[in-house]
Order: sequence, then C-alpha cells, then structure tokens
Amino acid sequence: MTISKRMLPAGLLAVTAWAQTAAPPGNPGAVEAGAQLFERHCESCHGKGGHEGRAPDLTSGHLASGARDEDLFRTISDGIPGSEMSAYAARLKPAEIRNIIAFVRSRSRAGEAPLTGDKARGEALFWGKGGCANCHAVGARGNLVGPDLSRIGRQRSVSYLRESLVNPGGDIVRGYEGLTVVTRDGKTIRGIERHRDDFSVVLQDFSGKIYSFERSSLRSVTADRSSLMPSYDGRFSPTEMNDLLAYLFTLGRTGEKP
Amino acid sequence: MRRWITAAAFVTILWSAQDAEWLTYGGNAAGWRYSDLAQINTGNVAALAPRWIFQTHVPGNTETSPLVRGGIMYLTGPSNHAFALDLRTGTEIWHYQRTPPKPLDLCCGEVNRGFAILGNRLFKVSIEDTLLALDSATGKPLWETTLGDYRKGYSGTAAPLVVKDKILIGTGGAEFGIRGFVDAYSPENGERLWRFYTVPDADDPASATWGKRSNLRVGGSTWITGTYDPELNLTYWGTGNPGPDMDGDVRPGDNLYTCSIVALDPDTGALKWHFQFTPHDTHDWDAVADPVLADLTIGGRKVKALIQANRNGHFYVLDRTNGKFLLAVPYTKVNWNSGIDSNGRPKVIPGLDPSEGGVKVCPGLPGGHNWQATAYSPLTGLYYFGSTDGCQSFYKREEDFVEGAWYQLSGGRDIPGEHPAGSFIAIEPATGRIRWRFDMVRNPSGGALATAGGLVFIGDYYGNLIAFDGRTGKVLWRYQTGAQISAPPVTYTFEGKQYIVLAAGQAVLAFALP
Repeated sequence: MTISKRMLPAGLLAVTAWAQTAAPPGNPGAVEAGAQLFERHCESCHGKGGHEGRAPDLTSGHLASGARDEDLFRTISDGIPGSEMSAYAARLKPAEIRNIIAFVRSRSRAGEAPLTGDKARGEALFWGKGGCANCHAVGARGNLVGPDLSRIGRQRSVSYLRESLVNPGGDIVRGYEGLTVVTRDGKTIRGIERHRDDFSVVLQDFSGKIYSFERSSLRSVTADRSSLMPSYDGRFSPTEMNDLLAYLFTLGRTGEKP
Repeated sequence: MRRWITAAAFVTILWSAQDAEWLTYGGNAAGWRYSDLAQINTGNVAALAPRWIFQTHVPGNTETSPLVRGGIMYLTGPSNHAFALDLRTGTEIWHYQRTPPKPLDLCCGEVNRGFAILGNRLFKVSIEDTLLALDSATGKPLWETTLGDYRKGYSGTAAPLVVKDKILIGTGGAEFGIRGFVDAYSPENGERLWRFYTVPDADDPASATWGKRSNLRVGGSTWITGTYDPELNLTYWGTGNPGPDMDGDVRPGDNLYTCSIVALDPDTGALKWHFQFTPHDTHDWDAVADPVLADLTIGGRKVKALIQANRNGHFYVLDRTNGKFLLAVPYTKVNWNSGIDSNGRPKVIPGLDPSEGGVKVCPGLPGGHNWQATAYSPLTGLYYFGSTDGCQSFYKREEDFVEGAWYQLSGGRDIPGEHPAGSFIAIEPATGRIRWRFDMVRNPSGGALATAGGLVFIGDYYGNLIAFDGRTGKVLWRYQTGAQISAPPVTYTFEGKQYIVLAAGQAVLAFALP
C-alpha cells in the first residue's frame, strides 16, 4: 500500500484535532486509547488517521451509515453487510468502540476546502474522453470489468481516488488483479484473475469471457504487477483531473453538495 | 443418555481389533505424523476418492487433528465444539458445545487443534483457556480446570499431550502480555501437578536476560503440542515470542525462555535444558513448530536428535539428550543474520529491528515455517514442512503495557508488489539439504502426513489436498475440498481398509480407494 509513505507524525494529531463532536469531556485518554485501537483494527483499510485509505474517509464528516455516535457504534459493532466492513462486536469491548469513536471525532476535517473541479465537465470526461465506462459502471450504464463506481464517492476518499488515477497499481482492489497466461500453443490471454492456485487458473478477459486452464496446459502464468487500468497522469490535465474527481465524489451522495 | 452409550458400545463391538488407530496429535510421541499403512500408495493413490463427508456447521478455521480409536473419530471444532463420529458412516455419535465468553482477546480466531485421549477420557482446551475432560462414550464433561485467565489475554488452542499418567498442556496469548507455561494435570480430577513458566521468576538467574529497567517479563506462549521421549523421560515444548512482539527496547537481553525449546522432566516439570533459536526476538518468530524427535546419523555418529523448521527461516538439529546445537540451515530467504555460530546463536545484522517507518526483513512475520503440522518419514528419511517465502516490512510503535490488552506494538506488512510465495519442502534432516521443493502460489495452510505407502500429503490455502511421491516431490493426486485447509490429514483403517481423513472448512472428509 502507499499509505506508509504518507504517515503523519503523531504530534500532528493534537494540532489538527478540531472536533466536529467533542471527544468525551474530561476523558482525554479516550482519544489516545482510540488512536491505538484504530491503528490496530481500522488503519489497514481506513488509512493512517482515518483517511487516504481504501475504505471511506472517516475525517470528512460524510458517512454512508450515519455520522452520529450511535451510528458509528452500530457500524463498528455490526459491520456493514455486503461491504468490506466487518463486525467488531466480538473483537472490541463497548468501551473500546467508544474510544475509537472519540479518536475518529478528533480527526474530523469537515471544515476543509471543498473540491474545486466542475462535476458536469467531470461527468462528460467519464463517459467520453476518459473511456472510464469501458471498464467501470455507474448505475445501469458502463461495463463491469472494473470495480463498480456507483457509490465510489462514499466508499473512497478523494485523495485515494486521485492516487488511483495517477498510480492505478498502487492498491488494486481484491478481485481485480490482472493475470496474463500463455498457452502451450503460444496464445496470450490477459484478463482479471478469478482463481489461481498451483493446479488451475481461471481468468476473465475484457469482453467478459471466462477461461479455465489446467496449469499443465499453460506455458506461463504471470500475475500483473501493474493494474489493468491505465494511468491518467498526463492523459488528463490537472483541471480535468479535478473535474473528474468532483464527479466521482458525487457518486453515491445523492442530494449532497460536493 | 443411555441411547448414546448403547450406540457407542454397538460401534465398538463392530470395530475390528486389528485396525490401525491415530491416538495422539503428532501420530506418535515423537511427533512424526507418519503411518505404517501402505494400502494407499504411490501406485494407486490416483484412485483416492471421498467415501463420506461430515459437516460440523461451525464457522471459523478448523485446525483439528482428529483422533481415531475403537471405530470412532474424535475431533474438535472452533468455538468450543467437539464431535464423535462413527467411522462406518461419518455420522455424529455425540456433539459437545459450550458458547465462549465475550469479548475474548484472540490473535487468530476461536480455533482448536484437537483432543488427547487416555482410557475412557478425552482432554481438550477451551478457547477461554480451561482444560476439560470429556467422557469418550458420551461427550459429557467430567471436570474442568482453569489454565489462564482469558480476561488477561490467555487462550487455549493446542491439543494436550498424554505423558504416562499426566495430561500436559500449554497456553496461547503472547500478543496479550501473558506469561507462558507448560502444565501437567491429573487425568482423574484435573488437579495441577506442576507448572513450568517459560518466562522466569524475578529471583531466577534467567530473569537477568530481560534487562533491569522493568519488571515486565511477558510472552513465551506454548500453543503447539510438545513431544516426548520415553527413554530419556523428557518432554519437549516450543515457546513463543517475548512481549511486546515488535518493541524490544523495553526488554533488553535474550529474553529466556522465549523462542526456545525447553526440555522438561515430565514427572516434576523441572527444566533439563533449553535452546534458544532467536535471542531477543523482535519479529514474532515463535519457536512453537513441531519439535520432532528423530534418531539421525550425522557425520557417522548416531544422534538422538530434535529437529525443527523454525519460523526464523532456519531448519535446526539439536541433540535432544542435552540441547546441544548440531546444525542450522536456511530453507528460505533470510536477510537478518550473517550465519549461525557453533553454539547455534545467530550473528544478527544490526538495524533490522522494526521501526516506525518500516524495515524490510526476510522472512516476514508469519515465517518461514509457522505452526502447521510437519511430517517425518523413516521410509524416505525426509522431513516435510511448508514455508512462506518472502519478506515483509516490520513496524513498531511504543505503548505502555495494559494487562490483558493487545501488546504486539505494530507488526509486519506485505511490501507493495511483493506478495510472498510459498513452498512445500522435503529436507534431509542430517544435513539440512533440501531434497525437493514444490513451489506454490502461497504457503500451504494445512499440515502434513507421511505414510509407508511412499506418500506425503499437504493441504493448501485454495482447498487442494495434495498427495506427493515422498521421494521425488511429484504430484500424484489432488482433490479440491472447497475450503481453505488449515488442518493436517491423519490416516487409519476401518474394517481393514485404509482411510485418509481431513478437516477443511466446516467439513470433515474421509478418503479411501474404491
């Protein structure tokens, strides 16, 4: 992951702590205890300090499952069925969950400057010049070769999305790893890895066709280091990049202003 | 209750006295996981197929090594479940279950690795670290005794070991600041007969290996079953990491007896010798992997050896009479030392302790070889084990100790673009030479079994149970079980016919020839 390169010094925590909802008064230890729990249980997906991870930005104040303390408590305890957010009730005591909430509150950046891009221009780029819909879907439109982006504005932080556009191989979502196989008769097939063990390989090409091979029938099997998605660094101007991000940010946020 | 007793008696009557059983975690006291059975062999294993499947309906990783005796299979599941099955049909005779307390502080799930059996009693640990005796005919609990306080991070996952008239057992929890031990209990009433602490008392000279700054000396869990040499009357147990795992600054010194083998007198619990593989470990390289007892010829000399594929990346041979170091050979990529000296002490390369920014070390936090059961075949003379092959970035942070709380202080992470691969290795124990190696997408997550049929079995992360020619490493058979394999297979005969049995996912599968 790229997160480790951007680790925040611990001291920054105190400086940036401007809480949307105050941590429990008279209990400064809760934030510190929550920080340690967060590092252990949450950081690998939500990122150092709650943002720039692959999971939703917890510092933005926008949370799909509710942003009140009781919502956060329920989400952490029970998880979000059908998502990568698992239930922590068996792993964390209620007091520990409350400490994590105190920490998340302390990290709030709800007052930060909004995105500068034009979401209408970004939408046009997505469906036009960018060719994003060749692989990605939004709602009923587009293709399902890449991750479905219908709710990506809620699922990923803007900084994560920007990094993904520039360096798509930095964090490849599980289930979308690329694979190239060469058959014994010299045919090369590139696609998404659906299964790979020491005896068999299943992959799906960009048209959606599924191939299943015995390893013994293949000359080579190579896991792609890079993403199947091209980098948009240089392909899009900085303005276009901001426009696209402004559009992506709206996805799954009906009725919210970016 | 009566009908269960009747059913068990009925099965026992039908059971043929000549049948081969599987009576201990490691297959024998030396921990070989080897069977003399050869009905299933290199010539016919291609026809091996499932004969029955039992569903436990218990979620979680099933790591159990089943026992087989008197026509019945006894196995444990995760989350304090246990079953007795009829070998004829694979159907359930009894089911024991008790809901674990919540919350539990566990590193690795509510797993359990199996029973021990003595007379008409079965012995297992609960995840909340108690030792239980069950009546083998009914599964009814007979007594229970507390090993460690689960509210302080202690947990129970290992199969107990029967040594003469005692039940020996260790504890898990070294990520939670526990103090490890090996205990012996009376099978009659659960009375504790002795305890050996793997982390010494303050007045013990070995406590000087923990520095003087702190009284905190924690770790040294004992979460894999030990072995026993009846001739030497010694029992051997591997010990886990010191605590905190990643921050060694608070525990300057070698941190005895963590990351070690301890050889104990099973009558008294007295320490006879110890050997430490990784002094002052900061990479979570527990030394709990099977301590296998094998008599080898090294340089023309017969040696009563103890062999171990250690998590730190080296295969070791010790003299099990006295703990003297004989041999260490890396079996995977190792970058943390420049060799092992003649006393077995690694020449550690400085600067590779975990740091806030991350330090690349090979092997990674899972090892090397981790805990999965290994096999030693006297037929091929080879020792078989799985390995994770690659490197990780090791991180640390500083934090005060809170009793019962997670005390690992960060850990290991995969390096972007470098997914560790795995392998299944056949090594000559007398030399450490790798005879063959089967390279894999990732480490085999299950355990091994070797048989007189010239076969060695291993289960992988993707659900394949694989049979190899033990001499050459050629794959002769495989079967997709449908779930990650975390358990070792065992073998037995029923009514004269050989079976291979394995837990995978929530299923127990029994294989035989047509």
